[in-house]
Amino acid sequence: MIFRLINKRELRELFDVLAENRIIGPVQKGTSHDGKALYAFEPVFDFDDLKLDYTSTARPAKRYFLPSHETLCTFSVHENGWEKTVDFNIHEPHVFFGMHACDINALDKLDKVLLESNFPTPYYAAKRKNMFIIGVECTPQPSCFCRSMGTDSAFHGFDMFLTDLGDSYFVEVQSATAFNFLKNIRTREPKEKDHARYMKVVADKNSMFTTSVDTTDLAKILDMEFQSDVWKYWGDRCLSCGTCASVCPTCYCYGVEESVDIDLKGAKKKKHLYSCNLIDFAEVAGGHNFRPESHSRLKYRYYHKHRGFMEEFEESLCVGCGRCSEACLAKITVPEVIASVRSGVKPKGKKGRHGK
Amino acid sequence: MPVDNYLGVPLHRPKVAFFEFTACEGCQLQILNNEATLLDFLSLVEVVAFREAMTERSDDYEIAFVEGSITRADEAKRLKEIRKKAKVLVAMGSCACFGGVNQLKNRFNNNKWVKEQVYGKFPVESEEARPLEDVVTVDLNIYGCPIKKEEVEKIVTNLVLGKSVSHPKYPVCMECMANENICLYKMGEPCLGPVTRAGCDAWCPGSRFGCWGCRGPADAANVEQIISIMEEHKFSADTIIDRLECFGGFKKFAGELKKRTAKSKSKKKRAAK
Amino acid sequence: MENKLPFVDVLKDIHGYQRKADLGSFEYSHKAEITNVYPLTSNEKLYQIQIVDPDMRRRFTFQPGQFVMLEVPGVGEAPFSISSSPIRHGDIELCIRNVGNLTNFLARVERGVQVGITGPFGTSFPLKEMMGQNIFLIAGGLGIAPLRSPILSVLENRSRYANVDIIYGARQPSELLFTYQYDMWRKFDISLDIIVEKPDAQWKGPVGLSTDILRKKLAEPDGSLSNNTYAIVCGPPVMFKFVCNMLTEAGIPMQKMFVSLERRMHCGRGKCCRCNVGSTYTCLKGPVFDYWSVMNLKEAI
Repeated sequence: MIFRLINKRELRELFDVLAENRIIGPVQKGTSHDGKALYAFEPVFDFDDLKLDYTSTARPAKRYFLPSHETLCTFSVHENGWEKTVDFNIHEPHVFFGMHACDINALDKLDKVLLESNFPTPYYAAKRKNMFIIGVECTPQPSCFCRSMGTDSAFHGFDMFLTDLGDSYFVEVQSATAFNFLKNIRTREPKEKDHARYMKVVADKNSMFTTSVDTTDLAKILDMEFQSDVWKYWGDRCLSCGTCASVCPTCYCYGVEESVDIDLKGAKKKKHLYSCNLIDFAEVAGGHNFRPESHSRLKYRYYHKHRGFMEEFEESLCVGCGRCSEACLAKITVPEVIASVRSGVKPKGKKGRHGK
Repeated sequence: MPVDNYLGVPLHRPKVAFFEFTACEGCQLQILNNEATLLDFLSLVEVVAFREAMTERSDDYEIAFVEGSITRADEAKRLKEIRKKAKVLVAMGSCACFGGVNQLKNRFNNNKWVKEQVYGKFPVESEEARPLEDVVTVDLNIYGCPIKKEEVEKIVTNLVLGKSVSHPKYPVCMECMANENICLYKMGEPCLGPVTRAGCDAWCPGSRFGCWGCRGPADAANVEQIISIMEEHKFSADTIIDRLECFGGFKKFAGELKKRTAKSKSKKKRAAK
Repeated sequence: MENKLPFVDVLKDIHGYQRKADLGSFEYSHKAEITNVYPLTSNEKLYQIQIVDPDMRRRFTFQPGQFVMLEVPGVGEAPFSISSSPIRHGDIELCIRNVGNLTNFLARVERGVQVGITGPFGTSFPLKEMMGQNIFLIAGGLGIAPLRSPILSVLENRSRYANVDIIYGARQPSELLFTYQYDMWRKFDISLDIIVEKPDAQWKGPVGLSTDILRKKLAEPDGSLSNNTYAIVCGPPVMFKFVCNMLTEAGIPMQKMFVSLERRMHCGRGKCCRCNVGSTYTCLKGPVFDYWSVMNLKEAI
């Protein structure tokens, strides 16, 4: 890896150089009722809108590489047959300016299943291969547990990564493209003392985590506790609304729906991201539902994230970004669910349905 | 010339009729309010009665789209007549499906008093507002206040193709999240999105207006849970009851909550004494 | 515009047609024609479907037990086990019951209609490993559909297998599928037992469950089942659970029994997660599993 140091003022220059492309980055989208800034990944046209010190976005940048709705193909239909037109729904590269390590790790995990295994999906590939990613070091938030998941730093999957050293940024340069872009601005080789400053910033960050998950033998424990009553407790709380999957940077499950145009001369095949918590996720033609109860669906979600993916790729599908904890109105959080499954004890002070 | 087959499978162009009872006729307007696809819509079906759109009418129809709730004895009688003639009876909109906003009047136990307040001295016959299914068998519901025209077009296309009509079983949250809206609970607003059937593309939450549940409960709606969540967010019992009661889809839950609230109120009163 | 990032066209890098690794194959479906439709019962029909392009038809190869995704534009796409012999390549037969949107539409289709076929996908019955051994083929209800391909394959290579026993159970005689082929199967030295739960006036055969026949068969031992017999079991989960337990007790090792699981699939390619059992993709690791694997799948039975 090549390292560079850039003065903070220079970042604006870099932004302007990159601005010939579409730039997506964290911007403030609103303020919550208790006065907190709410951030989102949006197209950025002005460097001043870019909030690199953002806490966390409510939603990952998923819509740019795994949109919630996507037309897979269209058909023109006539009496004796049909013609199919496929479009991968991307026509220009995007710059992602300011992704946290968890979100970059999420992309790496998605790559494993969507790009690097059998039947790679071109809809994802087309978008993923057209991402230029600038990572930025984060400040751990109360719901973050990426350190437990081993995703608190990113080793690959980005072009360059910025760490704020106060007056300057410590830059990890991963790609030749990034290296070339940096030629447009003033940079310098970091010195020993810059390395020390970088190490200090990272160490400080690591000391700030307040939430953790014990992942020791988690895959096995999920197998052993498959019949645990704890699942029912969480299932009773669950709204089956699918929000956890919507805000998850790694949830990729989907459903396909085909529809005939109202003039009957064409048809569409659309994909929409689904959630395994939704009632009909495992329903088959004829109506049989393999997971009719809320707890069986919630359990499946954990099972897939922390066991299934582990079995296949030797790592969990969760990056510990804490978005699902933040978004869940029923306050179902990954650290609490996993702790309760490990201990077999339902959390105190929280009521399930019917006050149980 | 209307298309008469799809991939070689012959299609039947059904005769359809539109009717309204106690309603604002806004749902029917949604269907007409659709210049771009209206002609395609009309070539899919043969409209034989549609008071809001045409003068000719015929009693020979297969599919009856019925808007509105039933609030008078003569309405119930007429609906039964329609049921006899129609092969498929479709309840269209919240009023037809759940009673809609009309059923709010049912919350006043004193019907006589309501009549006097609203109509003064004019003698108007009016009973409790009822959804169609309380009077006849309904084959299909089209939810929403108003209905969403895209959904009606999809339903009609499916009916013509012989495809089954299925509504989303999941709640509005899925669509709201897909549209990247900020959750209204984060903004301090109550919302029934987590328990209300989707299909509206999160119309209201997308305009920063909490969901009032016009499409009724989703298939796995955990209504008790959303009530306790609203309570945790410090929304008053009245606020929650108003929301659950508004369109009639959550009537059962509103009733239970009312009973519970009344009980705890009287408990408090007794304790105060 | 030196600062403009170059657009990467993912399809440009594709060399040749490697089905599993090829980005271009993802949404590629073979155009196929429904060349014939046989009604089998009031609910099931057999569709003969031929890939239109003769070259692709020849190159289409599959193993018994694998499935294809069949698509009717605008109506739907779903997985179906192939019911025909692998020697027929891309001139396949699918046995389809009308239960959903797609299958109801297919029930109204006449020959000549064009559909899309992708695949084949999934695992298959290890017919090569079974050579030289006895085979039990046990089907319940629609389970005969995925079983017909291995049956035909065994018929075509009859000399390579020892005793072949088919046991087929259905609810009532009118639900029996492929009735016109029973005589032929028997002529090829295959023992075929058919049993129904609810007989009608014409029914002369045995009445009961397929396990009743199996129990009798297992009672007349011919050698040790543990080293000379394979079993393929297809049917509803309750049925294969009972059957496999009986076979286990009779000494057939669990890894020599195979079942085919049925789940809803939206992609068939290990992406949509709809077919997952526990956390295992039915489309990639299945639909054919040995019984040991099924026992280890959470929520399979």
